[in-house]
Amino acid sequence: MGIFGIWIAAFLTLCIYSFLYRDNPFYRFAEHLFLGMSVGYGIVLNIHSGFIPLAWDPIYTAITEEGKQSGLVKLIPIALGLLFFARLSPRHTWLIRYPIAILIGFNSGLFIPSALQASIFEQTRGTVEPFANLGTLGPWGIFEAALMVIGVICTLTYFFFSVEHRGTVGWLSKIGIAFLMIGFGSAFGNTVMGRVALLIQRVNFLINDWLGTIF
Amino acid sequence: MKRQVPLVLCFVFGIAMIFTQFSPHTFSQGIHNEVTNWTHIITPFALVLAVATLIQTHWVRIRRRTTHWQYSIVVFAGLITMVAFGIRSGPKNRVFEWLYENVQVPMDATVFSLLAFFIASAAYRAFRARTFEATLLLISALIVMMGNVPIGDFLWNTVMAWTPWDNATSNASQWILDNPNLSSRRGVILGVSLGAISQSIRIILGIERSYLGGGD
Amino acid sequence: MFEKLMRIDRRIIFIFVGLAVIVPTLFPSNLPINVPEPTRQLYDYIDALPTGATIIIAFDYGPSSFAEPQPMAEAVMKHCFDKKVRVIGINLFAETTTLADKLMQKVAKEKGAVDGEDYVFLGYRPGALQVIIGMGTEIASIFDSDYAGNPLAEIPMMENITNYEQISLLLDLAASSTVEAWITYANTKYGLQIGAGVTGVIVSQMYPYLQTGQLVGLMPGFLGAAGYEKLIETSAEGTAGINTESFVHLLIVGLVVLGNIAFFIQQRREE
Repeated sequence: MGIFGIWIAAFLTLCIYSFLYRDNPFYRFAEHLFLGMSVGYGIVLNIHSGFIPLAWDPIYTAITEEGKQSGLVKLIPIALGLLFFARLSPRHTWLIRYPIAILIGFNSGLFIPSALQASIFEQTRGTVEPFANLGTLGPWGIFEAALMVIGVICTLTYFFFSVEHRGTVGWLSKIGIAFLMIGFGSAFGNTVMGRVALLIQRVNFLINDWLGTIF
Repeated sequence: MKRQVPLVLCFVFGIAMIFTQFSPHTFSQGIHNEVTNWTHIITPFALVLAVATLIQTHWVRIRRRTTHWQYSIVVFAGLITMVAFGIRSGPKNRVFEWLYENVQVPMDATVFSLLAFFIASAAYRAFRARTFEATLLLISALIVMMGNVPIGDFLWNTVMAWTPWDNATSNASQWILDNPNLSSRRGVILGVSLGAISQSIRIILGIERSYLGGGD
Repeated sequence: MFEKLMRIDRRIIFIFVGLAVIVPTLFPSNLPINVPEPTRQLYDYIDALPTGATIIIAFDYGPSSFAEPQPMAEAVMKHCFDKKVRVIGINLFAETTTLADKLMQKVAKEKGAVDGEDYVFLGYRPGALQVIIGMGTEIASIFDSDYAGNPLAEIPMMENITNYEQISLLLDLAASSTVEAWITYANTKYGLQIGAGVTGVIVSQMYPYLQTGQLVGLMPGFLGAAGYEKLIETSAEGTAGINTESFVHLLIVGLVVLGNIAFFIQQRREE
């Protein structure tokens, strides 16, 4: 079973790499198989790790065990969840707005206070905090602290479209672009590392695991 | 009924989540936990949307015999096989796990590893120092790329051994990440967060309604 | 000549990329690795944890990105098992479940760790936000059993663990924006310490959180995995990977430089 699995995996890996030459039936077969299996895997996991423990089990317990009838209240969110099936009937599609509205309202309400704290207050604190310890910083540290404030202000200026980017604002915005470009450059450098890592993993599989079964 | 009720639901759940986060009172926390629990139960059903769209798309392709419609049968074959082995005995079923490990994982990993080839080709063709900004981007990318791998420092320490700086490639890369990269990312985080917060307020207040879709 | 060079068939570049990976894989090198400072911070944090402490590892990546986080997970788990730090595994995305389950079993077997006593894999629950928030109140409200189906109440290592208050660190091994979600909801609301090991694609966006202390440490891609392996004095996939990676990066840098030389010469000629 082990070696057979390795050969199947190697065959499908090569099917997908055949796309590097050009689009072909082997690639299309593997691509579509991958799509179907991923969705199938997702369905099974969401039923066994989602629907059953979150919806089915509590209702079953509420019905079968005495004193647990309060669990029946979960029938309301289950009914709301079932409204997603309205997508299957064009006449009743509008019903899926109910669960979507609840999920969007929940996410938005949860997001506002948490994001204010985590992304606005904490990031602002991080920007100005080095200046609280200015006495302990050397000249290079002071330079870096100043660079950070300049970078943040200029980047924000670039994204501030309520004022025309002319004169001082124009200059600040141009400096902001320079910071953004350095940031994007570093992101590109890191992205290369990430993408190449995936290739190394697959080549490693082909050479050590698959060819290892032959030689 | 079709538009007003969803707007009210969105408002009620949104406001409930905002206010209950500020009050540690047992009653408030009870509401907070119950609302979280409700939405948690609703969430897995959202999968229906994705699956229905996929099935619909490929079913139409088969019915209309569009180009490459045969591959849509492969989609259904893959989907049905996984569901058939996993639905009754669960995801720890041996065949289900075998299919996942030997069929799904290798294909998923390989599809995304193709990007390594395309990123190299794109870098060769399009990564040009045409302007000052593009030059900054290019230099920063090259330094980080070399700083990320041990050969960068190895070459520097060998070729540039006469300089007083050891491991200059990785140090320069780390400096870029810790300073100009950090500043620009922080600017983006602040900007995006402010935008997302204002958008969330608009959604809760019913000003932003695009999630309701078209129609009446 | 330069015009030809600029119009080279992309498949020739593909061959060079393939060779830059195949040759170093066949003939591995062992270049000295410099441990990135954020990785050392994460190592120091875990190393300072007392015996019997518990951490959560969130396997928030997928088969499409497992090349980098998997060696990180392996290295951190080895470190934890050696130090008798207990590990709870969870994942916010369905597609990682089997990968994470198998990996935990593999490392545990290697280190002699016992399921339910030294580690437990709780698996997946849909709804990332609800999972993050819900576990802060009570882990059992989200996971009433582990992935194998054993009720949480019967798992020895979960006896004294109710919520994040008993968790010393959450390590998010991520390929997308889950780190931000853990920071925004678990760190801000419950004060849970967060560490991260991320794929190269999202490394750059982690640095603002490192500077504010919202992240206690970071493993950046293959380099982070290799760095952590060096710190625990082992050599595994991360180390081998970053050595192979060296040659591909060298090739890409060479291609970019060559492309620019050809571009400038052509431009000068046109002028």
